[in-house]
Amino acid sequence: MENVVEEEKFPGHPLLPYLLILPSVAVIVVFLVYPFLQSVQESFFATTAFGTKSVFVGLRNYGRLFTSPDFRASALATLLFAAFVMVVGLSVSLAVAHLLNQKLRGRGFYQIALIWTYALSPAVAGAIWALMFAPATGFVPYVVAKLSGGYLMNWMTSGNLALLVVSAAATWKMLGYNIVFFLAGLQNIPEEFVDAARVDGAGPWRTFWDITFPMLSPTTTFLLFVNMIYAFFQVFGLIDIMTQGGPGDATNILIYKLYRDAFLYLDTGAASAESVIVFIVISVAAVIQLTFATRKAIYAR
Amino acid sequence: MTPRQVKASASHAALIALVVVIAFPVFYALIVSTLTFRQTYVYPPRLYPGTELWNNVVEAWNRIDMGRLFFVTTVISVGAAVVKIVLSLMAAFAYTHFRFRGRALLFPMTMVTQMLPLPVRILPTYELMADFHWVNTYSGLMFPFFASTTGILLFRQFFLTVPRDMPDAARVDGAGPLRYFWDILVPVSRTNIAALFVIEFIFMWSQYLWPLIVTNTADMRVVQIGLKMLIATDQISPAWNVIMAGTIVSMLPPLVVLIAFRKSFAEGIAMQTAK
Amino acid sequence: MKIRRWLLLGLVWALGACLAPPSALAAGKVKITWWHAMSGSRLKVVEKIVKDFNASHPGIELTALYTGTYPETMTKYVAAYRSKTAPNLVQAYEVGTQQMLSSGAIIPVYKIPGMIGEKWDWAQYVIPITNYYSTDGNLWSMPFNSSTAMLYYNKDLFAKAGLNPDRPPTTWAEVESYGKKLLASGAVKNVMSFGWPGWMLEQQFAMHNQLFANNQNGRKGMATKVLFNGEFGVKVLETWTRLAKENIFLYGGAEYSANAAFQGGQIAMLLQSTSSLSGIEKGSSFRVGTGFLPRLEGYPRGNSVIGGASLWVTKGQSKEQLRAVWAFLKYLANTDVSVAWHKGTGYFPSVNAGVQELLGEGWFSKDQNYLTAFLQVLSGRRDTAAATGVRMGPFVQIRQLERTAIEKATSGQMSPKAALDEAAGKADRLLADFAQMNQ
Repeated sequence: MENVVEEEKFPGHPLLPYLLILPSVAVIVVFLVYPFLQSVQESFFATTAFGTKSVFVGLRNYGRLFTSPDFRASALATLLFAAFVMVVGLSVSLAVAHLLNQKLRGRGFYQIALIWTYALSPAVAGAIWALMFAPATGFVPYVVAKLSGGYLMNWMTSGNLALLVVSAAATWKMLGYNIVFFLAGLQNIPEEFVDAARVDGAGPWRTFWDITFPMLSPTTTFLLFVNMIYAFFQVFGLIDIMTQGGPGDATNILIYKLYRDAFLYLDTGAASAESVIVFIVISVAAVIQLTFATRKAIYAR
Repeated sequence: MTPRQVKASASHAALIALVVVIAFPVFYALIVSTLTFRQTYVYPPRLYPGTELWNNVVEAWNRIDMGRLFFVTTVISVGAAVVKIVLSLMAAFAYTHFRFRGRALLFPMTMVTQMLPLPVRILPTYELMADFHWVNTYSGLMFPFFASTTGILLFRQFFLTVPRDMPDAARVDGAGPLRYFWDILVPVSRTNIAALFVIEFIFMWSQYLWPLIVTNTADMRVVQIGLKMLIATDQISPAWNVIMAGTIVSMLPPLVVLIAFRKSFAEGIAMQTAK
Repeated sequence: MKIRRWLLLGLVWALGACLAPPSALAAGKVKITWWHAMSGSRLKVVEKIVKDFNASHPGIELTALYTGTYPETMTKYVAAYRSKTAPNLVQAYEVGTQQMLSSGAIIPVYKIPGMIGEKWDWAQYVIPITNYYSTDGNLWSMPFNSSTAMLYYNKDLFAKAGLNPDRPPTTWAEVESYGKKLLASGAVKNVMSFGWPGWMLEQQFAMHNQLFANNQNGRKGMATKVLFNGEFGVKVLETWTRLAKENIFLYGGAEYSANAAFQGGQIAMLLQSTSSLSGIEKGSSFRVGTGFLPRLEGYPRGNSVIGGASLWVTKGQSKEQLRAVWAFLKYLANTDVSVAWHKGTGYFPSVNAGVQELLGEGWFSKDQNYLTAFLQVLSGRRDTAAATGVRMGPFVQIRQLERTAIEKATSGQMSPKAALDEAAGKADRLLADFAQMNQ
């Protein structure tokens, strides 16, 4: 996104723009930036739970995290989780949006019937999926047991299964949102392009890959970014309701680990260091995504 | 049937299947919310409804005082959404209609704040609330959410598509910038405002971690935390029937908002993705 | 146009909410606040106690706030203390004891009578409970809700398997032989599960008079090393792992999540907190029996460990407030309050007079299961640090490590020794950090 040069529409009001952006900037500085800087500062200290003593330890908190198998496991779980949400989420949503992008009767109904999961909160999604997969009484383990001749699907004892179920629940909740954006993106693709390809004799797959997908790249990039932020930061409620990080830290994704370290174990130093690390990771990923997207967008044009 | 009709039928079939699959979890939750406590623990689990829906809803409502939960959550969802919208409109207006020093910082600023979601600053933000004496208050619940970079970008995008002659005409008529903003720009942004309202309302209604930390008492609790309390029933097994009844009731307001504003929501999104 | 009106309305609404003043409190009384974590039915009992207290003490207004689960209450307390808005009284869970002791935020309760010119009889409290919360013979926090763990079993399933429904297993060897019979009867696919796995491990140590950590279980000085990966710990975990392989033991998750399987009749035995008794009896459609926690043969006798929470008094209060807090703590020691608390929640009465009253009125003959809970904790030895329970600063985290070790061993991922060693290594590091910061 480049800064387009806008003209001065109302000359003679030098202070006004500053006043207009002041509330937003004030909130951002006071409630977002300043606390984050404090987090950064606290990451270089070891502090007692009650704040009675604070010792400067330099990079020790960071060193400990990087050498800690728990942190590495948490990071891995987070990456797997985020990758699932992003890749599976976007693929499925794109397929659905593509299907929806036809002149069909009842299209309005289908639209609503497919996007409404967006209105659910992660916590609600977590509660419902926890119900479905409850080992002793849930519907899905029952079906699986019937189909497989007795295999007891117990996600409270299988870390991998728990991570999978949690990822599926999180992805399910975001489907609605992704579908809306993909549908909008698809509808913005001029029909002439698609028709031209068809006239040229290209089948539906080729049309999709050569024309549709590249033209969707701004939407795709945007959704990748949003889903990444979602997977990293907004699923806390889901994890807290479903697994509380378990079994045995299998679903202890970074944001949950951060909560545990800060609020359960009262270890401010470690939690602050984790915050900073997560911030850096997300920022790097965002920058990569953006440069990649800009390049692709230029190419598509 | 013609090939086109075949294709249409196949599409319908596929879409119906998708609708069913996506809706299944909630359908199952709905069934469970109609059962008695013992019935939720039968094996094999049943898929046909029972008769206890009303009782379960009442039970859930009373157990966590849902009336109060709804009140608090509605206040913060509507309140924060509106304030965000207004602040975003103002900021986007400034960035698109004026040239001033510091304008180049917009984009980096909004990007950076996207990467500073609550978890990376949660303890210091809480302590800030304590310093302001805003713990367990509406201010504490809402203030950190008042800046919306999504909103600023959304409106900025839209304002850039506003025809150049509109502000010019306003100026010629003797209107100042604020007049123009309030009388012309805001009404024209109706669709985007509605779209942003849906997004922010749903976002606020879903808030979990921040209300968990910043509120202490039952009278300031939000719906999501109420649900958590309904589920974490300590020494006894979870009463899924009551929990699901509560869950479904708690879903309704954001669903209603989404469905009521769906046209504006879809249009607003479409406008955003159009380049 | 409409949209502008809506925006303005919304702004006014938000402004109103932000400016709404907090509710005004009654004037003229000494106001004290108490933060606690008693939810569900326990909350109702707490509310009644507070109401009765306020009614009988017209010069005091005690406000009790439910501030979430134990960890949430602790966190909020810490944050409140740091911003100088802490409540006068707070309920902290037993694993937070060392944290509270090292916090510098509290007044030990044994000092309070002297500070306000009163005397108090400390012998009236139940000894295993006061032992837990005492240092050098002095009580630092007031006992409030104490429980221990015991064995629950399904009498109907026992009968179906040809076992005597009035004879629960007393040793792990018996658990194994009973388990095999239960599996053979086809009534269940698994036999036993635990709540709070880490706590159950600690229970085994205390019951057999084995130290869990050094420095006399952290009571003679801060613990700096754990001992659970020693010979005894490995023996316990090996037993559990063997039972898991035989499908007798089924890992049931943390806290109370194993209760569902027991209530649903999918397992026949459950090791769980005594505070679950009334919930389990109410929610089960079979006859519920109880017994002591199973023992390992060949090891000495200790006692089961107290769980639950206690009440801590915040530093820096005015004398009037301190008097008011102390009046409440005294009130809680009233026999009838103590008995009502037990009857309403299943937690032990903290005063001996309460226990005697219950015995006297035949409370236990109505339901033998309540007696098991009492005997479990009152019948062991109380003179050693090992039998009193361990005290560690980073206890919350170490309990997680214990649970992970149990999970890994019983699921076959690691050998019991390796799992315990791994947990012990991490625990020792945590203890060293804590000791360094809090000495």
